[in-house]
Amino acid sequence: MAETAFRKIDIDIYDEDVLQDEELVDADPRDPVQVLNDAKQRQAAVRSALSRSDILGALNTVLENAPYGPNVEEAKTVTLQTLLTILNTTKAAEIPGVIKGLSQDNQDTLMKYLYKGMAMPGWGDISGSVLLGWHEKLTEVAGTGCIVRTMTDRRTV
Amino acid sequence: MPQVFNLSQTPVTAHAFSADNAQLATSFNSNDVQIFARQGAAWVPTEILSEHDKLITSIDWAPNSNRIVTSSQDRNAYVWQQTQDPSTGKLIWKPTLVLLRINRAATHVRWSPKEDKFAVASGARAIAICSFDPENNWWVSKLLKKPLRSTVLSVDWHPNNVLLASGSADMKARVFSAYIKEVDDKPAPTVWGSKLPFNTVCGEYASPSGGWVHAVSFSPSGDVLAFASHDSSISIVYPGGPTICTIRISSLPFVTLTWTAEDTVVAAGHDCQPVVFSGSEGGWQGVGSLDDSTSGKPAGPGSNSPVGRLNSAAFSTFRDADSRGHTSAKASSDAKLLTVHQNTITSIRPFETKGGRVTKVSTSGVDGNLVIWDTDSVNALAGRVGGLRV
Repeated sequence: MAETAFRKIDIDIYDEDVLQDEELVDADPRDPVQVLNDAKQRQAAVRSALSRSDILGALNTVLENAPYGPNVEEAKTVTLQTLLTILNTTKAAEIPGVIKGLSQDNQDTLMKYLYKGMAMPGWGDISGSVLLGWHEKLTEVAGTGCIVRTMTDRRTV
Repeated sequence: MPQVFNLSQTPVTAHAFSADNAQLATSFNSNDVQIFARQGAAWVPTEILSEHDKLITSIDWAPNSNRIVTSSQDRNAYVWQQTQDPSTGKLIWKPTLVLLRINRAATHVRWSPKEDKFAVASGARAIAICSFDPENNWWVSKLLKKPLRSTVLSVDWHPNNVLLASGSADMKARVFSAYIKEVDDKPAPTVWGSKLPFNTVCGEYASPSGGWVHAVSFSPSGDVLAFASHDSSISIVYPGGPTICTIRISSLPFVTLTWTAEDTVVAAGHDCQPVVFSGSEGGWQGVGSLDDSTSGKPAGPGSNSPVGRLNSAAFSTFRDADSRGHTSAKASSDAKLLTVHQNTITSIRPFETKGGRVTKVSTSGVDGNLVIWDTDSVNALAGRVGGLRV
């Protein structure tokens, strides 16, 4: 076995000019308070869309300009909750049609939320089987590239 | 049909052809460069260039001056020139030292079009622009540093011998001026700018979803820049607007690309097949793959699925075990990928040019293969890389 312990040494602490995370991504220009208000308004809009069983409209509402970056944790939580109500109430047979109707941006954002949900088992209304069902259908439509973008994108949701 | 040459059982990290395509320099994930000579239909190993003491990362062969430059993780680059051995009279490759002055690995190297300079990308957040100092008989370097924030993964020269594009792990593609007073004439204005002292940043373009920029390349005219990044996307930059056309692909990321004409790019990478894109300032789209993976081979399960490599042998083994309780390893029949390359493509380069168009490109891969492709035989992507949209 080759020596690998040296890989775990944090050499960055000796570097005055170290690259910070925030340098890698442009911050969300919106004000955190406004982002939170937006998220709450969307929650209401999604409820009314769901009562008309307009799933695609509801998904588009919640995924468009979703909150990202630091300082907007509460808005992210509200958005995740809103999204979960959509995911949990959609019938399995309708999922592929809905996903095909999403723009590529929104497909990428949806994938981010699916992974966020899977990373928080037992939180709120998260159901692993529902998330995996959506994940399977989304991967069939958007491909592995969509998963790769979820992993690389620093604009975390 | 693509010509396939199995050069090695180990990955081919880099490859470069001599001007007449009769010789080939490669590195097999080791400290040595292996030179091959073409004999009939085969490549025969001839010479080994040993001087580096860590992995070689990149090789470039200057077509007119017939010099090879190599870069390595040992933080060095060497320029190799053929000279006569005084005792035997045979031609052998002799290295010349390059004073790079970098404290991290050299990652990529390319000769400038006039072959009087070369650029070495490095992990030291710098690009070394090297030119020859005849007084001391070595190559000296000048470093491009600002505003690089991370390892530079690739470089490419503009045809005017002054501008240089770089792709970096800080998720940006950049265009720099690499003007060296002692070497270059004053460059004519281009679409990238008119005043070009050393280290002028003529453009900075971020990858769309935050992936490392693996590959950059200027179009044949130098007026357009293409870059591929690790967020499974390829972007084409027109500096005027600037207009940036981004194509997000549904398969795994590209790591290398080359232009074959002013309106066509071929990119390849983790998806193991070269994919052709074409377009203009109005918009770009995926055209197809050079790899006709559907003919001559049994169509495996899911060969037309956009999920691509997800439906691999390992995947189906686990799926069968899960859904049907099968545990027998019958997967050996479809353990081969449907593509010509059996693993990631590490490098794609123009191989043959006719009438201003690149008619053949060569690729080298982690599977140890070198493949030469006709750029005209593009196969529709069907469902495999389907869903390509601008």
